[in-house]
Amino acid sequence: MKRFLSSIIDGRGFDIGLVSLPLAFLLTLSGLPLLYNIVMSFQEVDMFSLGSFWRPFVGFKNYRDLFAQPETWPILANTATFVVASIVGQFLVGFGLALFFWTNFPGASWLRGLFLVSWVMPGLVVGAIWNWILSGDFGVLNFILRETGLIDGNIFWRSDPGFSLWAVIIANIWLGTSFNMILLSVGLSAIPRDLYEASELDGANVWQRFWTITLPMMRSSIGAIIALGLIFTLQQFDLFAAITSGGPNNASNVTQYWAWDLSFRQYDFAKGATISVIMIVFVMIASVVYVRSTRHEVRG
Amino acid sequence: MTAQIELTNVNKYYGAYHALKDIELSIRKGSFTALVGPSGCGKSTLLRSLAGLESISSGTLKIASEVMNAVPPRKRDVAMVFQSYALYPHMTVEENLTYSLRIKGVAKAERKKAANEVAAVTGLTHLLGRYPRELSGGQRQRVAMSRAIIRHPKAFLFDEPLSNLDAALRVHMRKEIRALHDRLGATSVYVTHDQVEAMTMADHVVIMRDGVIEQQGSPLQLYDRPANKFVAGFIGSPAMNFLPAVGGQDGRSIILDLGIKQTIALDRAVQPGRPLIVGLRPEHIELAEAGEGVLSAPVALVESTGATCFLTMQTTPELSVVFNGRSEARAGDRVGLNFASASIHLFDADTERRLPD
Repeated sequence: MKRFLSSIIDGRGFDIGLVSLPLAFLLTLSGLPLLYNIVMSFQEVDMFSLGSFWRPFVGFKNYRDLFAQPETWPILANTATFVVASIVGQFLVGFGLALFFWTNFPGASWLRGLFLVSWVMPGLVVGAIWNWILSGDFGVLNFILRETGLIDGNIFWRSDPGFSLWAVIIANIWLGTSFNMILLSVGLSAIPRDLYEASELDGANVWQRFWTITLPMMRSSIGAIIALGLIFTLQQFDLFAAITSGGPNNASNVTQYWAWDLSFRQYDFAKGATISVIMIVFVMIASVVYVRSTRHEVRG
Repeated sequence: MTAQIELTNVNKYYGAYHALKDIELSIRKGSFTALVGPSGCGKSTLLRSLAGLESISSGTLKIASEVMNAVPPRKRDVAMVFQSYALYPHMTVEENLTYSLRIKGVAKAERKKAANEVAAVTGLTHLLGRYPRELSGGQRQRVAMSRAIIRHPKAFLFDEPLSNLDAALRVHMRKEIRALHDRLGATSVYVTHDQVEAMTMADHVVIMRDGVIEQQGSPLQLYDRPANKFVAGFIGSPAMNFLPAVGGQDGRSIILDLGIKQTIALDRAVQPGRPLIVGLRPEHIELAEAGEGVLSAPVALVESTGATCFLTMQTTPELSVVFNGRSEARAGDRVGLNFASASIHLFDADTERRLPD
């Protein structure tokens, strides 16, 4: 008791106590499930063995079976398309908006705040709204495309296998743009004004200033936002559940939705866990990129 | 005597705030001009207007005889050294130096050659591969100057470039900048709030207050014949003593009010009874034996740096005296004070303008 008291007074040991609390939390609620998931991907799991931890160990059988399935590669390809297109879309629109609001016209910060609305909305609600927008018969998107003469007939965004994945991508770009914009805005405002003044006096025009000052100075922000984007898009589940449910015929299915589908609708827990492990690898890579890019901040 | 920079009737408004008022300034080619004044006087605004980073509201601004009012900074061909240095943190020293050449599309080999030449002049050769964050304050300062030099601009603009350095380095860099200016034969405009910097470095000093040029001229002109009380008090350290007085009845003397009234003979005519401010530089007052000299006053405080002695007299207003050497006087002693009549500056008590000699 005396030692504990003195540890509070002189601070020695108390810091470890403070750190161990969130560490214990992380370990029980994130670390253990993660490990359990990895273990499960090497086991034979069915409804009857679900309750026990000691299940028959089958090595890489789950992985071999998974890649033997005909839908696996298309779904992985869908995931890649979804991630790349979402990140590119979110980043380009977000960066464009961030640069636009950076010009600081009257009302800029107010308007920028409004953009955050998309970010605070739950994915399911966003999905429901986009269901209406994307609707084949009466959707606003089809109306606009038709009236501008871009398409002749209606596109059935959610039920056409050629479009269903893009329907979710469009909704996801809308959902993630404001987060990109805010993070990039912060990065932009951290660039000292006098760098632009110096480069202007050195003869650089707007375009040259963007390429030689803005982009290099934003390197760490951009690295962070792309790594976070990768993590967030790999987590994106609600939109799939709300808009296409992975259909038709897996045309818009992605790994994160498929893992849930395998585990909790087909009760093939082992395969669900296997898919999750593959995803963990990618998220880990993204996390490393994220940590490294935030550490590499370049500030005068 | 060609003017490299000419400002005629220049005004600058920020909304309702009048930042520059009817600025008339001609900067000779090859000269070193200092803009000096207390903070908020408009000196930085004036410099940034020369650079084009601020637009002027009215008047004409010419650089090398070309009207520059609406010309963007990148086409003015002037280089600026910022107070923060504004080095590009993501570029090495060499890349910082050659940035302007790169923008112009100069070939890589030629850029390297130019960087090496400038680095040799400014002593940066061994630092070319470093990043700004790996440099000391003085080295960053040198990079900022080299970045300006490499361009051979029409004018160098300095915005308080030494204020982030420690005192010893500041004195050193002062000389270095001036030597560089002479070697390059450049036209320099230098903003500072430090009158010592302005006096020691510049050929032409412009003193500003509240957006107005109070006086301009050579450093010694400003020191010897300040146009008004503000300039007189701004130039010189320690600051000039200001004492209330009125013109004597004979028209050739003044009656000083130092708590007790004392009459002092003058070498010029003055209107009898006219309220005056008498300016007396501390370094123009000499100590004399008690009872001798023009004035007599008790000592309030003696401060000595070893080489120089600062005396504060127990008068109202306080009178300070400075001289080289040491003093036997102690606080409370009564001493005599002597000064030449020619060293007296007279200002009108109302307008604070200098009276004609």
